[in-house]
Amino acid sequence: MNTLENNTSLQALIAPLKPVVRLQCRPAAALGAQPASRLWLAIHLPRFTLDMATRGNTERRACVLVDGQGTRQRITLVNGEAARLGIQIGMPLGAAHALGEVLPFMRVPAAEQRALAQLCAWAYQFTPMVAPVGPDALVLEVRGSLALFGGLPGLLIRLRRELRQLGFNALSFGSAPTPTAAIWLARARHSTPVETLAGLPAALSQVPIEVLNLSTKLQQDFCGIGVRTLGDCLRLPRESLARRFAPALLLELDRALGRQPDPRPAFTLPQVFSSRIDLLWEIHHVQALSVAMERLLSELAGVLRAAVASVRGLRWRLYHADGSSTDYPLTLVEPSADTLHLLRLSREHFLRQPLASPVRGICLEAADFETRPVTPGGDLFAGRQGGPGGTETWPRFVERLRARLGGKALQQLTASPDHRPERAGSTQAFNGTRLRRPLATGAESSPRWRERPLWLTRQPLPLSECDGQPNLDGPLHLDGERERIHSGWWDGAEVARDYFIAHNQHGTRLWVFRELTGPRGWYLHGIFE
Amino acid sequence: MTLEELMRRAGLWRAGEAPPEGGLSTGFSALDAILPGGGWPQPGLIEILATQPGIGALRLVLPALAALSRQPHWLIWVAPPHRPYAPALQAAGIDLAHVLLIDGAEPKAPAAAAPAATLSACWSWRRAAEGEFWAFEQALRFPECGAALWWPAHLEALALRRLQLACEAGGSLGILFRPAECAAQASPAALRLSVQPLAATPEVQVRILKCRGSLRARECRLSL
Repeated sequence: MNTLENNTSLQALIAPLKPVVRLQCRPAAALGAQPASRLWLAIHLPRFTLDMATRGNTERRACVLVDGQGTRQRITLVNGEAARLGIQIGMPLGAAHALGEVLPFMRVPAAEQRALAQLCAWAYQFTPMVAPVGPDALVLEVRGSLALFGGLPGLLIRLRRELRQLGFNALSFGSAPTPTAAIWLARARHSTPVETLAGLPAALSQVPIEVLNLSTKLQQDFCGIGVRTLGDCLRLPRESLARRFAPALLLELDRALGRQPDPRPAFTLPQVFSSRIDLLWEIHHVQALSVAMERLLSELAGVLRAAVASVRGLRWRLYHADGSSTDYPLTLVEPSADTLHLLRLSREHFLRQPLASPVRGICLEAADFETRPVTPGGDLFAGRQGGPGGTETWPRFVERLRARLGGKALQQLTASPDHRPERAGSTQAFNGTRLRRPLATGAESSPRWRERPLWLTRQPLPLSECDGQPNLDGPLHLDGERERIHSGWWDGAEVARDYFIAHNQHGTRLWVFRELTGPRGWYLHGIFE
Repeated sequence: MTLEELMRRAGLWRAGEAPPEGGLSTGFSALDAILPGGGWPQPGLIEILATQPGIGALRLVLPALAALSRQPHWLIWVAPPHRPYAPALQAAGIDLAHVLLIDGAEPKAPAAAAPAATLSACWSWRRAAEGEFWAFEQALRFPECGAALWWPAHLEALALRRLQLACEAGGSLGILFRPAECAAQASPAALRLSVQPLAATPEVQVRILKCRGSLRARECRLSL
């Protein structure tokens, strides 16, 4: 038996189709016999703050980031639309307003940090070594993941596509054996990967010193002595560099070149998800929220892939213009990690309840992470049977109905051994799974009981009376034999009635009763069909 | 669009075409005999138009429903006029574990003081609410659904066409119970029946108004 070979060929088959199996993402090579050098991939999002602010809207507007107070407000970042208007970094905000309609934003460092941490959680699906690099970048150690994602080019294509889904269009990559060098290369838009330490000095020599994010004074000092690139900087004598400029700078250069260790704190994946998108203007219709919903759900999908988990429920929170917020909790019948399904459910859910007031922000929270068993074989063929779109399962179908119609709308029929007609056949809320088969000893279903109608009216309907006979479409003809049901005196729902089968002039057979107590009125309680 | 192009389009049924084989037996041999496929067209949309409520329109489909529920397939009842009575359904052989009731609007308690004058007044033909149409269509499209039942009063021809397509997509039986006035409306349903009580007998007359694979109007008498 060559089961081992079978396994490996199956793995090879699975890998390109379902690259979410976390075990394979681990940088196993680091533990292997042939220790490969690390490869750090830096993702630099140059317009991170602006993209965060605008990703909930499809319509593009000129947006700028401003810094400073009052008349000294300067523009520090522009998006594509703003650049097209001719707005440049360093302009006063007033000048930008003169060029066209722009939306100014201020930096909120706490929100940026939160968003970056959220993005790290999302990136955890690609490698378990992720670190945020403030304010607008993250680094990933990807050596162990390359084989899974089809090499570095494959990984970059996938990252670019998925980051675009999250609403981050402007991005640049840099890869190098050290994280610091990778970040510098990314900031310098130097996309050619540097595989070895020996190649680093040559690659870095052309990189401008602006990537170091130095203080304005240091930057001017360097300009003053004609240092414009990292190459110039590296040519300076080490001692004087440390003495005249910053000692920290020397350490950073050493780390970038691999002369000093460059530890990064390990990012731990939180077991909750919470992400918020603010909208540029007030939204009145649910449809306009769908972009933001899709983005939040793809973010959640990434985190769930990283955690190898599914969720039992979600909570959407809409922030209204007046400062209030509305919660829309969504509970699932079975845990799911399928974003498309969750999106469909959420849409149905929102369609059911129209927006109470205009919305300025939307937040998605999920806490009930449940570890999902890794069954690649099961995943591989799921959704491939039964034609396009795959076969919908019963729990998902029920979830969809419930999301749109509300939990109370789904009911199941139950029969129980009780003499009272209302108790013998009743409805109860559908709990999502198949009903347990009722006991076969149901008194009402046994043949010694008389015939029962197919329809029971929800309440007994009062009938008018004429000469002691009930009336419905004219006088009803009672078929003689009465059935007395007198029961339930012990539980407060007493029934004391004489039931008759009657038929009207059209031949419809009805189940009517006369009360034995009180005004002895006639009621319609069932229709035989 | 030329006539030839129209003829080539999928989903176009021509009156002379052979009826689909393998209908689902209705449980009434007299009815099976006059239906072209030898039973209910499955998948397909069936309209049952009754002159009076409660004269046996539901009983007409019960044997087929019982057979479906035991296969097992789901029976999905959308907004029934009254509560389907579980003991009677069980007695008819329906497996209650496969019955799902969808009833969004909980009916308001009627004013107890005013006695109903006619049975039609007690029979709440619903105006086809959007949620109910959606639920019925989803039920028809769901592959595990054997039959879906609905009691709408008024439906647009376009909506009926959508339902017929949904039946074909999901392979299910869609059963619409409608008042007899709807017979004048054109309908793309695979089968339309009218049910009418016969005076002084316990029988009903079932007349085929329209049926794929048959042009002649045919009728039979059934004792339900």
